[in-house]
Amino acid sequence: MNVQVNMTSGVDAQMAQKISIKDLKFFYGDSLALKSISLPLYDKKVTAFIGPSGCGKSTLLRVLNRMYDLYPRQHAEGEVLLDGENILAADQDLNLLRARVGMVFQKPTPFPMSIYDNIAFGIGLYEKLAKSELDGRVEQALRGAALWNEVKDKLDASGLSLSGGQQQRLCIARTVAIQPEVILFDEPCSALDPISTAKIEELIDELKSNYTIAIVTHNMQQAARVSEYTAFMYLGELVEFAETSHIFTSPSQQKTQDYITGRFG
Amino acid sequence: MTDFVVQDRALAKAKERAKALSAFRLGDLVFKNITLSAAVTVLVILGGVILSLIRGSIPAFHAMGFEFLTSQSWNPVTDKFGALPAIYGTVVTSLLAIVVAVPLGLGVAVFLTELCPMWARRPIGIAIELLAGIPSIIYGIWGLFIFAPFLQEYVQPAIIEFFAPIPFLSSVFAGPAYGIGTFTAGIILAIMILPFITSISRDVFSTVPPVLKEAAYGIGCTTWEVVRKVVIPYTRVGVVGGVMLGLGRALGETMAVTFIIGNAHKISGSLLAPGTTISATIANEFTEAVGDIYTSSLIALGLLLFLITFVVLAFARLMLMRLDQKGGKP
Repeated sequence: MNVQVNMTSGVDAQMAQKISIKDLKFFYGDSLALKSISLPLYDKKVTAFIGPSGCGKSTLLRVLNRMYDLYPRQHAEGEVLLDGENILAADQDLNLLRARVGMVFQKPTPFPMSIYDNIAFGIGLYEKLAKSELDGRVEQALRGAALWNEVKDKLDASGLSLSGGQQQRLCIARTVAIQPEVILFDEPCSALDPISTAKIEELIDELKSNYTIAIVTHNMQQAARVSEYTAFMYLGELVEFAETSHIFTSPSQQKTQDYITGRFG
Repeated sequence: MTDFVVQDRALAKAKERAKALSAFRLGDLVFKNITLSAAVTVLVILGGVILSLIRGSIPAFHAMGFEFLTSQSWNPVTDKFGALPAIYGTVVTSLLAIVVAVPLGLGVAVFLTELCPMWARRPIGIAIELLAGIPSIIYGIWGLFIFAPFLQEYVQPAIIEFFAPIPFLSSVFAGPAYGIGTFTAGIILAIMILPFITSISRDVFSTVPPVLKEAAYGIGCTTWEVVRKVVIPYTRVGVVGGVMLGLGRALGETMAVTFIIGNAHKISGSLLAPGTTISATIANEFTEAVGDIYTSSLIALGLLLFLITFVVLAFARLMLMRLDQKGGKP
């Protein structure tokens, strides 16, 4: 099937592509989960992926930092270019890739260590800093994730002692701390209450001035609020990719129209 | 009229229900008391064992006093007994076993949960569990007839030679190579407790949520860093539990150790020399113990073993509590 990528509606073809996905197929064992996906992620923009459960959104995200490599019998075909370099290449250094493409998960995943160490640990993997410099970086990361004021007096407390929303922001801080170029959000708010969700969305809005962001979400309002571009996926296929305003006001595909108006999915 | 009938029926129904409920209450009461008595039975047995150990060891402590703990003599002729060599041997062989078995066991567990290809997981796992199923007497004969001569011929001479020029360590690993001895007993114990440490660590490692590991890989960790910084801290209570179970088994292990430790009632500076442990002494000498003091001394050794095990477990708990305060659990 030919994938419909709508580039006509005001998408500037000249805009820098941070990641371009070309003819990507993904297999769980023998079953095909992504059927020839092609789309760009523009530099320092937020791209949202929407679609019903099982449509391959999260799978696509997990290709972008090769997280699937942890599991046997999963493999991808095609090309994913990060700054023009194919990350699916067999000789790709995975640790380096994951330092450039950070990920925030559905459930908060603080490491079993103190708040300070949760941030410092990631930094320490790449840089050997003096204590004072490290302190600065930790503070900077926590400020960047709008968490500093809430935790500055208890940096030695366990990361697990924080509330769910705080834990998620800690995970964002941890991701930001290693200064990636791309951040992937896999339904970052689905385990959070509305207030924490609002805080995370605000944060994503601030982060996009420095990072290229991809976010998977089940919440259509969220996609509309935070993203500049939206990709609608269905059954492993990319149905439509366009500017968010375009998708939510005048989608060119009937299926997209049906999904965003709640007629299925 | 019909109203009355309806009311009567409702009343009867309510009564019936109350009756049924009261039967449940009785059942609950019986159930509660059965479980309570099961719990109490354990306490009574434990208390009974401790009491009879204490009672049995009174004559020994009466005769030797505090010297029983500090003396190295073990002389049935003069009725002078000292527990120090046995305590020393017990502690040293167990520590040796832990030092060898913990890295090995954790290594196997990490390999099985994180690195091993799927098809090889079950065979290796089963092989390790089979190791736990071997009766200790078999470790004993194997240790005495095959392993000890092997060590004596090939391994111990090399160890002695290697450490000879190094001060201090040269006396710890001083010759001659007997084959049997404290060192060999420690190694056999390590093999015996390896399956406990491995299978418990493997089980708790597999409780780490995949997404937590993914998060660690997601910031660019290598497998080693994920294991060291995430998997082990997340599961340390379970891992320490497994190690303690292994240590408990090593402290009390009797048969295999009795075969290969050499049964010498003295403390040697060298690990390669023969020694004894509490349980080996008891097993070896109970049948020939004549006289109150001799028998009582062996029971007192039993009491000491009990205390050592208890202290070790208590210490482990304390360590875990301090670890928890430091950062991991909420």
